[in-house]
Amino acid sequence: MITIEKKRTEGPVQSPAREGLAPEETGLELHFPAGLLGFEASQHFRLIRDEDLEPYQWMKGLDGEQAFLVIPPGFVVENYNVEISDEDQELLGLENPEDAMVLNIATWHTDETVTVNLKGPIIYNKVTSQARQVIPLNAPDLTLAHPMGN
Amino acid sequence: MLVLSRKPNESIVIDGRIKVSVLRVDSGDAVRLGVEAPLDIRVMRKEIYDEIMASNQAAAGSAGMARKQASKLKKQLAATP
Repeated sequence: MITIEKKRTEGPVQSPAREGLAPEETGLELHFPAGLLGFEASQHFRLIRDEDLEPYQWMKGLDGEQAFLVIPPGFVVENYNVEISDEDQELLGLENPEDAMVLNIATWHTDETVTVNLKGPIIYNKVTSQARQVIPLNAPDLTLAHPMGN
Repeated sequence: MLVLSRKPNESIVIDGRIKVSVLRVDSGDAVRLGVEAPLDIRVMRKEIYDEIMASNQAAAGSAGMARKQASKLKKQLAATP
């Protein structure tokens, strides 16, 4: 088991952008060998910055039309700890918690509220480019629909 | 649906690579199962799968609307304690 800890982020979101490229060409490519839960066939996504929405980013499917609004947990809660199972750790090739980027999927609701899924985070190994939506071992303590603001 | 009867310590094999064993049957209703599967086969409780899947589907379905509501999203973010 490995524990990934993310604390409240101050200041602007870390940007993977490179100068001189269109936004859709700049983002990190995430490879999900197992897809997302319910979207098992969607294995390739790209993170796309959207200046209007930062620190939210778009995670756009490269083999489908899906797009997900994602946000680093540091902008959502004070402390966010996820315990990753040995199996998920091995699938991600994750050796150090510091190599992990964590993103959480946000949902815009028709009543104009936004919730963030803290229970099924996306873990991306910066070293191997492998990504996986995991159910952490401590999932029972995590919220499926954490409300943002009011 | 295929229906099979199995006793404790008996198993079924799926596709030659996934083994599901009945470990114990409690006096109540609970059946304790053991699953042996290759690492890349995701095994989880269906309730959790269903709730994360539903959340993902709602998120994917709401993406277009979120794009149009950027200013409100940012305002909510600012209000997040």
